[in-house]
Amino acid sequence: MACAMCSTRAPDGKAAMSELLNIDDLHLEFHTYDGVVKVLAGVNLQMRRGDVLGLVGETGCGKSMTALSVPRLIPMPPGRITAGRVTFNGEDILSKRESEMEAFRARHVGMIFQDPVTNLNPLFTIREQLVDAVLYQQAQGKKVPGRWRGFSPSVRQLRKEAHERAVELMRLTGIPDGDKRIYDYPHQFSGGMRQRVLIAMALAGDPDLLIADEPTTALDVTIQAQILRLIRSLVAQLGLTVLLITHNLGVVARSCERVAVMYAGRVVEESPVRELFRNPKHPYTRGLIAAVPQKDVHRGGLEGIPGIIPNLINPPAGCRFNPRCEHVMDICRESVPPAIDVGAGHRASCFLYPEDA
Amino acid sequence: MNHLLDVRNLAKYFPVRGGLLNRKTADFRAVDGVSFALQEGKTLGLVGESGSGKTTIGKCILRLMEPSAGQILYDGGDITHLKQRDLRRLRSEIQMIYQAPAASLNGRMTVGQIIGEPLWIHESLKGDAARARVLELMHVVGLKDEHYYRYPHEFSGGQQQRIGIARALAVQPRLIVLDEPTSALDVSVQAQILNLLQDLQDQFDLTYLFISHDLGVVRYMCDEVALLYLGKIVEVAATEVIFESPKHPYTQALISAIPEPDPDLQREEIIIRGDLSHSFPQRGCPFAPRCHADKLATCETVPPPLLEVESAHQVACHLHPPVPGLEPA
Repeated sequence: MACAMCSTRAPDGKAAMSELLNIDDLHLEFHTYDGVVKVLAGVNLQMRRGDVLGLVGETGCGKSMTALSVPRLIPMPPGRITAGRVTFNGEDILSKRESEMEAFRARHVGMIFQDPVTNLNPLFTIREQLVDAVLYQQAQGKKVPGRWRGFSPSVRQLRKEAHERAVELMRLTGIPDGDKRIYDYPHQFSGGMRQRVLIAMALAGDPDLLIADEPTTALDVTIQAQILRLIRSLVAQLGLTVLLITHNLGVVARSCERVAVMYAGRVVEESPVRELFRNPKHPYTRGLIAAVPQKDVHRGGLEGIPGIIPNLINPPAGCRFNPRCEHVMDICRESVPPAIDVGAGHRASCFLYPEDA
Repeated sequence: MNHLLDVRNLAKYFPVRGGLLNRKTADFRAVDGVSFALQEGKTLGLVGESGSGKTTIGKCILRLMEPSAGQILYDGGDITHLKQRDLRRLRSEIQMIYQAPAASLNGRMTVGQIIGEPLWIHESLKGDAARARVLELMHVVGLKDEHYYRYPHEFSGGQQQRIGIARALAVQPRLIVLDEPTSALDVSVQAQILNLLQDLQDQFDLTYLFISHDLGVVRYMCDEVALLYLGKIVEVAATEVIFESPKHPYTQALISAIPEPDPDLQREEIIIRGDLSHSFPQRGCPFAPRCHADKLATCETVPPPLLEVESAHQVACHLHPPVPGLEPA
């Protein structure tokens, strides 16, 4: 069987450069008993086809929320988008009806998550779960012919093709003996293999965008290296666009072309990956890089960032990093710094840099 | 140099039960003959992937778990079979700091009670004297006076870990077993805690057994590193030696897999196949099924012993036999 993905996703030059995703000034709030949590406060993010963008930040900075707003998987209520636009392939996502969203998710966005255990149903074999995913994606969010209707010849044929596709996906994601292991249950797979199954499931609909939310955080380093290599090879093979969410700067340095650094609900810096590590501009990014134990840092040489992340019910006015920043100025406490172009496709939201540079 | 802690052939087996009568059918060898020594005032890193037995070793040293075989010598005395009464005195010498700061603190006790409890148990200290000591300990780890009456859930992860550290310090231990103390924390907070641990080590002359899976953190914290694979030590050496010239194929793969935050770093990436599995036949080298090096016939049949291949550098690999010329005279 010809791989459907390879044929549809031949990266021809023009389409490869076009803009795929545009998140513009997105504001997201959560209404809780303690008050309104301003989770996202003006997130801007652009991705072109074929991009591998790393979204980095610490716990609670809003990186997962930004990503979940693309397939619109944020529970509303308690969540509420108060301002901003999300466009995917030129289509406005936020104004779509829920029924349209189902078709959209099936066709355009694949997601993998941190914990490969809780995302697979322990009561069903991998075959049942993968075949369902393939059928759902083929039906583009409409009703899937159920297992119990497998007596009708057309449905049987459909399920047979879906089974072949599932085995093909397992081969693509590097699961050995996919044709036999497809009959196994999730507990018979190791953590790394389960993550591969989830990647296979996410690829079932031949998506334009793969959102990987901390895909290697629960895995050991040797397995992490395997999964990152798999994602890189999928990007090369299928021309996939990947949004990789992680808190690990090392993972970004290894896998991404561009990086966006988030802090307390805003993107504070965005840059090609080399430029960011060689020439970090925002004080938060500098602090983050200095906090990672690196090769030539010896005893006592590590610097943490003083203080803790702000409470987003009452975030600090102006730049949200100002209470922890060593370069804080008066203006930082009053207004929000705009994203300033500092050259080489590198933008930083900080008043340290003159606006017309 | 005298060794504060000397672990010899430590083993911990868990019974595997099965069959109709649920009888013991096999041993699960979580720790399988591990020996190492720790000098006073130094930090030894125990590194390995999940399931390699690092936490089990830590618990055996504190006698929170009974070792199945082997000997643990602390300050020259055998503590492997200490009675319950003597264990209490031992525990004021050896303390532990845990991975999940929230789970290791009692949510119904205030910070003052948490840090004060060991003072009451070990030194019968209470009232104003205890309070003064607790406040002093809180200052040492960077907590403020007003935190005394707060509960653990009111703190961030990093602050909770500081409470755990203060509690461990309360009894003035000489050895602290740190079980993944920063793996639940964000990097900026991790850096704060690592620096605090180093300051405390200098200030109180502490000895650390540092258990971690994060090689970057281990490189920063430790004087010496022991790598574990499936309950066995595969390589031990000084930190610089391990990171500059690793010998064991597993160590090499692990070091090449560290995600360094440096996109320009040119290095050979060794990706090993498969994953850690206890279900291999217990013959030969435990790493053999995943090994990327050119294997010898003996790799599959004879378990490699841990041998000194250079001075103070021990490796358990058939590919690295001890070279007589390299041995110190």
